[in-house]
Amino acid sequence: MQAQINRTISGKISAANGEPLFGATVVIMGTQKGTQTDINGKYILENITEDTFVLQASYIGYYNKKQNVTFLAEENNITVDFALVERTNNLDNVTVNGKSKKTALETEGFAVTAVQTEEASIRNIQTNELLNTTVGVKIRQNGGLGANAEYSLNGLSGSAVRIFIDGIPISIYGNSFNLNSIPPSLIKEIQVYKGVVPGHLASDALGGAINIELHSQARNTLNVSASYGSFNTLQTNANAVYRMDSSGFTVKASLFQNYSDNDYEVSGRSVVVTGLGGVQTPITAKRFNDAYRSVGGIAQFGFTDVSWADQFFLGITASDDYKEVQHGAFMTITPYKDRYLESDALLGNLTYKKKDLFTNGLDLNIIGLYGKRNRQVVDTLAAAYAWNGQRAIDFRGDEYEYTWGSQQEGGPTLAKIKRNVASVRSGISYAFNKNHKMLFNHVFSSIDREDSDALNTLLENIFVGTRDLRKNIFSLTYDVSAFENRFKASLFGKYYQQKNISKDPAITEDEEGNSTIVEEVVTNNTTNEGYGFAASYAILPEVTLLTSAEKAVRLPNETEIFGNDGDNVVANSSINPERSDNLNVGFRFGSFNIKKHQFSVYTNFFTRNIKDRIGLPIETSLNVNDELIVYVNQGSGTSKGIDAQLSYTYNNNLALNFNVSKFDLKIENRGTEIDVPNTPFLTMNGSARYRFNNVIQKNAQLNLFYNLYYTDDFSYLVPQGSNTTGDDFFRVPEQLVQDLGFSYMFPKKNIILSFDAKNIFDKPVYDNLSVQKPGRAFYLKLNYNLNNF
Amino acid sequence: MKRTNLNFKTVVLAILTVGLFTACSNEDDGPGTTPDPDPDQEDARWITVAAARMGENPGDGNGGTLIYALDSEDAKDPSVSIAPFDNGFIVPSNRTARLQASEDGSTIFNISYAGDTGGNYTKYLVNGGQDFEQTGSEISIAPYVGSAPRWIKLFDGDKTGAAVYVSTENMYDDNDTPDDETDDTYINTVSTMGVVTLDLENSAIINFEESTFTLDAEDAANGYYIDRIDMPTLNTAGDKLYIGARVRKLDPATGERESDYEILGSKTIVLDYPSLTNPTIITSGISNGNTNGYRSINSFEYNGAVYQANQSDPNGSYILKIGADNQYDDSYVFNLDDALGVEGAYVLAWRPAANGKAVLAYRHNGSEEGVAGAQGFFALVDLNAKTATTLTDIPYDPDFYLFQYQSFAVDGNEIYLTQAPVGKNGNIYVVDTETGAVTKGAELVNVEGSHFIGAW
Repeated sequence: MQAQINRTISGKISAANGEPLFGATVVIMGTQKGTQTDINGKYILENITEDTFVLQASYIGYYNKKQNVTFLAEENNITVDFALVERTNNLDNVTVNGKSKKTALETEGFAVTAVQTEEASIRNIQTNELLNTTVGVKIRQNGGLGANAEYSLNGLSGSAVRIFIDGIPISIYGNSFNLNSIPPSLIKEIQVYKGVVPGHLASDALGGAINIELHSQARNTLNVSASYGSFNTLQTNANAVYRMDSSGFTVKASLFQNYSDNDYEVSGRSVVVTGLGGVQTPITAKRFNDAYRSVGGIAQFGFTDVSWADQFFLGITASDDYKEVQHGAFMTITPYKDRYLESDALLGNLTYKKKDLFTNGLDLNIIGLYGKRNRQVVDTLAAAYAWNGQRAIDFRGDEYEYTWGSQQEGGPTLAKIKRNVASVRSGISYAFNKNHKMLFNHVFSSIDREDSDALNTLLENIFVGTRDLRKNIFSLTYDVSAFENRFKASLFGKYYQQKNISKDPAITEDEEGNSTIVEEVVTNNTTNEGYGFAASYAILPEVTLLTSAEKAVRLPNETEIFGNDGDNVVANSSINPERSDNLNVGFRFGSFNIKKHQFSVYTNFFTRNIKDRIGLPIETSLNVNDELIVYVNQGSGTSKGIDAQLSYTYNNNLALNFNVSKFDLKIENRGTEIDVPNTPFLTMNGSARYRFNNVIQKNAQLNLFYNLYYTDDFSYLVPQGSNTTGDDFFRVPEQLVQDLGFSYMFPKKNIILSFDAKNIFDKPVYDNLSVQKPGRAFYLKLNYNLNNF
Repeated sequence: MKRTNLNFKTVVLAILTVGLFTACSNEDDGPGTTPDPDPDQEDARWITVAAARMGENPGDGNGGTLIYALDSEDAKDPSVSIAPFDNGFIVPSNRTARLQASEDGSTIFNISYAGDTGGNYTKYLVNGGQDFEQTGSEISIAPYVGSAPRWIKLFDGDKTGAAVYVSTENMYDDNDTPDDETDDTYINTVSTMGVVTLDLENSAIINFEESTFTLDAEDAANGYYIDRIDMPTLNTAGDKLYIGARVRKLDPATGERESDYEILGSKTIVLDYPSLTNPTIITSGISNGNTNGYRSINSFEYNGAVYQANQSDPNGSYILKIGADNQYDDSYVFNLDDALGVEGAYVLAWRPAANGKAVLAYRHNGSEEGVAGAQGFFALVDLNAKTATTLTDIPYDPDFYLFQYQSFAVDGNEIYLTQAPVGKNGNIYVVDTETGAVTKGAELVNVEGSHFIGAW
């Protein structure tokens, strides 16, 4: 290594008319060194070791420009400005060199979809809605905004799917900071890994992982938006970044707020009011106990792009939410009133990222969180309410109270769960050269849980056990590329270690016969290994073969190991993890460019072979009155299917996207195989966008959007015989929902107005049997971006 | 609009299939043809058979309850074959439906169990085969006894059904120091019971009352309490309702439930009828264990008394007698271990005919462990002679599983039952309770992992 001189090259890239170009690329040709311009068109490249080189500036829609640069012996700072010339109506000639980050990720070999948030963040689209249109992903939500959601990847759902925010398990953040509350504008990209999860995201994810990557750029920006629409839904958010160029000191803040009454109309077989004698009258009701509100934010202080760190931040993540609960898992004739859930979280966060630490090719990433989160269920009202929002009357005509003293059967509750949470994910990688790279990653997460219920006596609360969880997952990855990058592969091994700690207070007698309370501590250690690979090979420049496979593991959770006092279930410390052999084989065709037409196709065929599924044994005369039920490993399962995605653009104005997912999901118990019921097996999503330039005003831009969501019908019951009747009762009907929207960008490009009409034909929509989701709705959103300050 | 959607799907799939993929799987519905027995026979009674399809596990019965009716002539005819899993009517109930039938078999009563319509009462006229014609208006007992109600019909000429619910609350004495738990003491656990009666004919709620009770002071202070009730049965005078009970125990020192404790004498709650008030608890002097049964009716009125089976008795199940004085008649001792010559007899379901002779489904400690649990057997029981004889003319199989068995159809002195091991074909059998003769009836076509849960 030669003596290091901190040579810097900086400058500004603008259009020929002087307008600064934001996001233009500057690279030192022949190296991997490069950067992008900030909002003012400015760039800076530091730590330059080359003496003589060619600097190239490029920007989509403009001709590239090159400049020879030579550092003289005593020269450390050089300024190079570029003025780029626009290509006039010649976009079809643009050849974008290299791949976008999204394409690069999607051609690594994993069955991964990178979901871009740019369009969603200016429109009235929720993060969950965006994710739900992703190929192979199905989200089933029990109501409107803020309602509980379940995520399914290629048919595997529940704890088989792990969700992360910047690699940290979302369970650390709790219910108040989740995909219901985080707006798309906070998110840079959502990565959906199906079946095979790369080493750097290692987790005990049986069916795949979803990683929410929050924005991390350090450009001076401020954007705020507010959206208002049907069901009194108001959502606002603000993101600001400020970096002092001199010191690198950077402040980042993001805030969001969501509110909705969710008072959308529902009807159906259980939406009735009852009168004298119990006579039922069907009505169309407005949901009256379903409001949702959440607030949250992240504040971070630190340094970016300084010699010792690319990013170093310390900060706080805080969030709070409140969700009324209108009904249980089903919409029944007894809607809930005043039952609600509250949660909050306060977490400290730390981020450190540095490329080329100590030596070229050695990168280090650390992200950590530590804090507390709380959740409470409140249900203390015994009075019965009807679907019209009024007190219900009994068969005698009198207002009445439920025998069980609460809205949900099971009795009044003020159950509170306090959790101390911590998680650190760290990764270190070393690139030996352009073609070989090793990565070592580790994630630690810890959840200490304490339960109490203010309605219980102190004595009862004291004897409630606590459950703590410590999880360590290590992974080692080897990335290789060959044949001029046509072949890429990633091999990884994972090591899982989990410690569950159960603390149950109990009474013992000492030598003198005095009773004392002692804590019985039982710990359970589980370790397991898994491994896998992903590989891609570009058969032709436009045809890439992608394949990936993993021996995946899902470690048993606290309930499965220790049981649950309330449900009669006792500990089974010898329970094995669930395992699955996952395989993806896919192709990516494209993108093909024919004149102004551009299209690409992606398909993936997948299989999941699950073993040692964890479940409860069936109720028999031997255990019905027994206290000794344990979770057991029972049976296997398979999911097989196909994902496909088509994209087409014309002249950069028209964009069409379509995807389809279809799979078969079967489980086998004691030698008998069944098709898993209550699962949507076929889903399709389509979208169209058309852009008009210079509408109403010069330089203004109008985008029109159309979206379509299709879910095939499915039954709550297992498949029945060929000639049965009564099947319709259990059927979730076929659904086709269509949305329309537009966004208008004003000429100065800092104000965007968006309008969205969802479910324009007001179709009844169900993710779950008889639980109706919102009908037709309208939303208006105003976005403001401030670029110069 | 449905047609539009279908077209959308068809068109899109067709394009994709032709254009890109060649190996999409086809959904195949095998052509199942089952002979449909002639449903019209004069003077015959309808026999409705219920079949429980497998959900996730063989024998769990969670995949739907299907019913199918044939007349009693066909039911007795072994050349007739029925396939309710292919041709039946799926009863609207998320979990196994709790079915009752009118005494003449012409009407089926259902209250759906769990799910969005849990607690809904529906009534069907039996027209044969899969044709069950819904009649009467929709009504729900969920507001009174929850969406997973435990109900049966009262044998009062098919006029009334009754459903019960219980919740419990542990009571503590905080010694006037609410913030100091060290001096807190457990008092007892109070059970709150709700009982609703339903007019089966007119689909209307008749009455609902709530009451609270504890066990006697000593048992209650030791942590014993009633946590589940079921099987309301009307006495002969028609002025009391007997409700079966399950007793549990918690540790008074910690409030946590115990699993190994001394079992108390069998208990029944006695309630004034039709007012549904004034609960008292009676205790058997001869048996221990629970009287709440499971899914089949557990106690019946016969000849001025009510006969009740118990379960989870360490000495094996008994048939207990509650006399006209509304007290257990401890002079009536009918132990099934002794009568059957087995150990650990456990009554799974039973049903007497008007002659005091009954068919009883049971398992015992020697039962083989089949795919879904312990093997079951049928026995002929004489309530007067206190005898029980296993019906050996019915074939048994380790996978013959009767835990979920719900019902026997009674036609005079004849009792109809269903027999089919999990996943295997079986038959209807007809027991002549006077002679003990067993007649093999219509074949029951089964499907993998599934079983039959009775005749109505």
